[in-house]
Order: sequence, then structure tokens, then C-alpha cells
Amino acid sequence: MTTTIQEDGNQLIATLAGRLDTAAAVATAEAVKPLLEAQGKEIILDCSGLEYISSSGLRIFLSIRKEAAAHGSKVIVRSINADIRQVFMMTGFISLFEIQ
Amino acid sequence: MEALDLHCQLILEQYRESQSVLQQMKEDVLRCLREALDHSGLIVTTLEARVKTEQSLAGKLALKGGKYATLEDITDLVGARVVTFYTDDVDRIASMAEQLFEIDWTNSVDKRRLHQLDSFGYNSLHYICRMPGYDFRFELQLRTTLQHAWAAINHDTGYKSGIEIPHEYMRRMNRLAGMLEMADDEFSRIRTELADYRRRVQKLVRNGKLDDVLLDGDTFRSYLQADPLRKLNKRIAAINQAEIQEAPLTRYLRVLKELQCNTLGDVDRLIKRYEDDAYLLARHQLGNTDLDILSSAIGLQNICIVCILSTGGGKIGLERLFEALNGHNSQNGALAELTYNQARNLPFMQHDN
Repeated sequence: MTTTIQEDGNQLIATLAGRLDTAAAVATAEAVKPLLEAQGKEIILDCSGLEYISSSGLRIFLSIRKEAAAHGSKVIVRSINADIRQVFMMTGFISLFEIQ
Repeated sequence: MEALDLHCQLILEQYRESQSVLQQMKEDVLRCLREALDHSGLIVTTLEARVKTEQSLAGKLALKGGKYATLEDITDLVGARVVTFYTDDVDRIASMAEQLFEIDWTNSVDKRRLHQLDSFGYNSLHYICRMPGYDFRFELQLRTTLQHAWAAINHDTGYKSGIEIPHEYMRRMNRLAGMLEMADDEFSRIRTELADYRRRVQKLVRNGKLDDVLLDGDTFRSYLQADPLRKLNKRIAAINQAEIQEAPLTRYLRVLKELQCNTLGDVDRLIKRYEDDAYLLARHQLGNTDLDILSSAIGLQNICIVCILSTGGGKIGLERLFEALNGHNSQNGALAELTYNQARNLPFMQHDN
């Protein structure tokens, strides 16, 4: 599982690749910390390389969303695959995130 | 500008020596007002204060310096201004100021009440106040946003420059003042009536008279306060012993309207009618997974899905649902296809052939 963060103007783009399962969750939570401090930026979670997400991964997405809301930022989940889309739908997370 | 006489020069000198006190008083007035406003929950558009500039004071002294024996006689060395949305709030803040400061009633003036029955113009409440611990008084101006706009534009067009205002221009400005006064009153009335409406709706919801309440943003929020989806969400969460995260449901308002819900009674019947099937859908989807975190939208989301599918809405209906929730994007079609395929063997789908 790899996580890279790039800043592009008013956007912070986190590119997530691999399997975001329980084992990868701790390292990923650490890697996304810069997103939690973003003030008023648009946070893009680019999931084009993300193969799988577990409940632990969803909790990380949720913590990003909570901090973003507190700091006036917006979170967009981009390019999720069919399996992850299914997870978002089954859990009602499609009502929590803007998905593109 | 005319040279100041000795008396006025002495006042000006006293002003220079009092700069730090005046600046401190300005900060204390601002802090005091800010704390009181925060405590009251009143929302204002502007809270500002300034110390009169030396140039402005010199101008005032040149015009009417003989009126003042000492610097303390000048009441607007520090000026504070609060601009509100509503006229009612001007009075509420005035009453707040009466608690916070000692009001010099002799010099305070409510310009709103100075007008004759047939005249309109500058509207603002001016209080001359004394802050505990200070010898100087200060001026507090309270007005609405519309009154402020009128005053600012009037000032910008030369009112304070001493040039006599042409009658026609004055008449047009006063016509505007009258119109803005009507608009201010109407804004206040709308706020009051909306508050009454919300109270009436909450009472109807409390008394279960849901068919009497039209569905809109306000009424939907009132209805959700009773947590009508709690039971269904808890049933769904129990499938995997999941935790539930709060999610806003306001996006579902549009969906519910598309599903022909016109009153809260319609929404309530929709939930009751489809909650068992919504649970079945969730069990079918989540039963084989270890997903143990859900959004609190899951119950209503599944109710909408089931309603669409069991009434023959099919994939197109689902795509419209996801559009309403997610906005227009390329993923909605795939999401609809996926949901449709997941649900296709469930009992409620028998109508969708």
C-alpha cells in the first residue's frame, strides 16, 4: 500500500494505491496526516490505484472527512473501482463523500 | 483648514497625549461587545470600532471648538458600530449595550424616531456610552445592513462635505430610505413568521399530525429530530455489529420529493412500508462481508432503493437516485447497475419484470 500527497494550487491530492486493509491502515493513517491539517483546501483522494478497502480504510477516509469539515475543506473521492464503489454503496458512505 | 485657536490647540494636544488610553478603550469596547454578542448568539454583519483621527478632530474643533471645554466633552473620540441583519436586532443590541455600559441619555439619539410622519432619511440608533474605568465617553452606532448601505452611499455622495444637497437628489435619497425601511420591516416580519411556522411544524410533528405538514427542508429536519430511522439503522448495524457514523440526510429531500412524498405523512408511510425490505437488502449486501462501519444514511438510502426497484423504476430510477445524492457524474450509471444486480433476486424485485 502506498500513499503520496501532492499539492496543486488549492488542491491536496492524495494518491492511494494497493490494498487498504487492516494491516496497511496504521501506515496509511500516518501517511495521510498532512491532509488532516489542510485549511480550506480541496482534498482529492485519488483511488485509481486502490484495489481494496476494509472497514479500517473507511475509518481513515472518515477521519479525513471530519477534519476537513472542521477546517473548512472539502473531500472528493476520485476514480474508485467497482469493488470499492460497492463498499461505499453498501455502507451508505456514498452519502458522506462526493464521488467522482 | 482654518488655524485653530489656542483653546482648540490645547484640546488637540490633550488628544495626542490620550492616544494610548483611547486605543485601549476602543479595544475594550470591541471585546466587551464581541463577548456579549457571542454569548447572545445574535449574528451581526459588522462589529467595528475606531479612534477619531487627528485630522477629523481638528476639523470638528475648527467648526465648533467653542462648544467643548475639555477633550472629555467630545463624545465620539471612540466610535463603535454594530450592523445587524434585522431591525429587531438593533433593539436587542441596544438593550445589551444598556447592560454593558452607562448610557448618557441626554446625548443619545434614536434617529429612527426623529423623522416626521411624512419624512424619511438617515436611520440609526446612536448611544453615547461610558465604559467602566474610563473618563472618556464613546459613541455606539446601531443600524441594519440596509440602513448602513444607505448611510454609506449618502456619505459617499458628499453629505458630510458641507456642500448643500440639491433638493431633487435629497428627495430621491429619502425615497430610497423609505423603501429600505419597508424592506427592513419585511425582512423582520419574514423572520418572525418563519419562526412561528417552525414552531407550528414542530408541534404538528410532536402530535403525530404528519399529513398536515408539507415536506420541505425545515419540516424534514424537524421530522428527523425524532430519529425515525433509528430502529432500521440499528437492525442493519446488528448484521455485522457495526458502528454508525452520523451523515447528513438533507440530500434525500430531493429524492423523497421525486418519490412523490409531499407531506411528512408520505415520508413516514414510505419508511414503514419499505423498512423490512430495506433491511433485507442490507443483509443481502453486508452479510458476506466484515464491514463494521456504516453511515446513518444507510437506512434511508436502502428504503429509497427498495422503493424505486419495487415500483419498477429499474436501473434508470437508481441512476437518478445516485445523481440526486452524488450530483451528475460518470460513476452513477455503474453504481446503479451494481445495485440493481445485487438486488435482482430479492423478493421486492418481483414487480420489476
